[in-house]
Amino acid sequence: MMTQATTMPDYNGMSDEAFRSEVRAYFEQHYPPDLRFMARRLRWAEIRDWYLMLSRKGWIAPNWPCEYGGMGLSPQKMIIFLEETERWGIARAPDHGIVQVGPILIKFGSDHQRQEYLPKILAGDYIFCQGYSEPNAGSDLASLRTSAVREGDHFVLNGQKIWTTLAQESTHMYILVRTDNAAKKQAGISFMLLDMKTPGVTVRPIRNLAGHEEFCEVFLENVRVPAANLVGELNRGWTIAKALLSFERINIGSPRRPQYALKRLAQLAKNKGLFDDQGFVDKFTQLRLDMADLASIYTRYVEIVKRGETLGQDVSLLKIWAMETWQRLTELLMEVAQEYGCVAGEIDFNGVGVDVLSPFYYSRPATIYGGSSEIQRNILAKYVLNLPS
Amino acid sequence: MPDDNSHAAMLAQSVGDFVKRGTSLARVRKLRADPAEYDRTTWKTMADLGWLGMLVPEQYGGLELGLSEAAIVAQGLARELVPEPVTAAAVLAVGALVGGDNQELQQYLLPRIVEGEILPVLAWQEQAGTLEVAAISAQAVPAEGGWRINGEKRFISGAAGADGYIVSAGVKAGLELYWVPRDTHGAALSLETLADGRHFGVLTLTDVLVPAAHRVASVGVARASLEKTIDHAAVIVSAELCGVMSRALDMSIEYMKTRVQFGKPIGSFQALQHRAVDLYVQQQIAAAVLEEALSTLDSNPDAVTRAALASRVKARCSDAGLRITREAIQIHGAIGFTDEYDAGLYLKRAVVLAAWLGNAQEHRRRYARLVPPEFE
Repeated sequence: MMTQATTMPDYNGMSDEAFRSEVRAYFEQHYPPDLRFMARRLRWAEIRDWYLMLSRKGWIAPNWPCEYGGMGLSPQKMIIFLEETERWGIARAPDHGIVQVGPILIKFGSDHQRQEYLPKILAGDYIFCQGYSEPNAGSDLASLRTSAVREGDHFVLNGQKIWTTLAQESTHMYILVRTDNAAKKQAGISFMLLDMKTPGVTVRPIRNLAGHEEFCEVFLENVRVPAANLVGELNRGWTIAKALLSFERINIGSPRRPQYALKRLAQLAKNKGLFDDQGFVDKFTQLRLDMADLASIYTRYVEIVKRGETLGQDVSLLKIWAMETWQRLTELLMEVAQEYGCVAGEIDFNGVGVDVLSPFYYSRPATIYGGSSEIQRNILAKYVLNLPS
Repeated sequence: MPDDNSHAAMLAQSVGDFVKRGTSLARVRKLRADPAEYDRTTWKTMADLGWLGMLVPEQYGGLELGLSEAAIVAQGLARELVPEPVTAAAVLAVGALVGGDNQELQQYLLPRIVEGEILPVLAWQEQAGTLEVAAISAQAVPAEGGWRINGEKRFISGAAGADGYIVSAGVKAGLELYWVPRDTHGAALSLETLADGRHFGVLTLTDVLVPAAHRVASVGVARASLEKTIDHAAVIVSAELCGVMSRALDMSIEYMKTRVQFGKPIGSFQALQHRAVDLYVQQQIAAAVLEEALSTLDSNPDAVTRAALASRVKARCSDAGLRITREAIQIHGAIGFTDEYDAGLYLKRAVVLAAWLGNAQEHRRRYARLVPPEFE
């Protein structure tokens, strides 16, 4: 147990308005203005100061219970915190430790694991990346083959992970490995924590379409992981990995980030005199309404989370609609830019600088990661519409 | 008035009971060919259930409920394609009457409307493609202690068996609303047949004399009341569209589970699954927007907020309703294209509801005019 609990104010006891304005004021006062609404993922060197500032403030883990150094926010307050984060365009820090590993260790980990990892995640000493996907296990994640074989008090890992975001900057990986080849797909998978400095770990960054090296391949060759790094029971890793928190499942559908892009698009269109063009106005209005209606359905799910209820599988529709709407937005931005739609970098449109290509690139994988749109549709077909397989 | 939930539950219950016993698609099919369009005995049943007085103040015998409750009834009836003009009479006409400033006329008409004795419809529109209530040519000129009205009104839903019309007409300072009983001299009604077998009325007014007592709304209140009423009706029509689309989607999914081709239910094919999911996504979004619109409108927002929200919900529900019912035909295959199969009935009702009171394009354009974009 840690001691922050005694010093953490009772945020849940505050009124929503008071909490919102405190969060807003802090963000507006302290977040670096030049890092607002970034299209790309920031590197650790760029976002480190902010991470540490939030850490010192005690706000780096809003979702964790106070006893572990989090803010202990109720779902209601958590939504407000996230809304304010998005409203101010605060970049996503390397947050896998906060969002995934912390809650998983709190729920499934041992006391020793919690004592070892949680404070270092809070302090920014441990940066986690996610070792899930493999070259032959993408949408079909449960077919993963990276093996972990028990040898004495260690597991020996062999295999390869891929699409590992910012692995090159991570100190640790939470990894799904196969510990039982005889069991059915999901049943033979375990969840472990891996120190990236362990001999046999090789990271090779992969350049993406936007020209950045954000995701990586990670090769594992006879990597010895202490048996104490197994989280939860052996062969129960799939259940652990699936235990995503409710607000994480809806956060991806938040309409606030694309709203900023919509404003940029509007500004660009205004500078180009396009609001006199009914053809443009019709397309633009369709997009606005798609976004406004996204907000309506998002609100519906937010209310469920605020009530502390469990989200159903139908929440998959939120990701489909949010991501596909975002993509349409970036496509219209490109169309409006005309010949400049193929020019890299920030372009000056009569005084407003707009990077046309970056949003277009960065919206592409949005319908691929976190369960592709097709996988989301499969989920809805099977679990919500109850269609036969 | 009891709390909202008890009314909502009561209404849902009464709609559920009614659609089980009081109507059927066989009845809907029979009335398709009938110029009377709907059935006054059924109308009386609806009156007895309180549905015609949902938006009528208690002092006139109504239930004085909100749009949220009206939407429950509209959606439930639309799922079974009930042809009676509840929205046309109990939302549009009642809204115009309640929003007017002739208390004596309200006192006479409203209790009779609630009882189902008088079925009024609203005759406000003249041109296609505009929701501007002042875009009319009909004129009311003072005459013989009242007015003489000339003009032509179109797209009057529910007119086929109506007992009278609430007519808008221009006066010197703006526009006013008048009550014109059906048999009034100079008021000639003809009918245009719609896709779903119902009708739009075309009302020709030639030197129609309206007594002073029949002015529903004077120039001071008529316009604002009419605008509000039309926005509210657009939202209730959206609720009808939600009912139509959800039933059409249910039918399609049921069919996908039972229809076997290539030795498997067609619902096991991913191409069809994803098609069905996309329809489901649209249906859920439409329902969410409707829900938001109803709760906001029941808190009586300012006119621009109200109109923008009405346009947003009517645009979404019109598009989603058309798309889902169109694709229902595709999912069913050839049987879907037969008159005998019910999927076509849903498509045709969606076609009518999507066009009535402004189609999706028209509402998107109105939204664009009402809500200027935000710039960065």
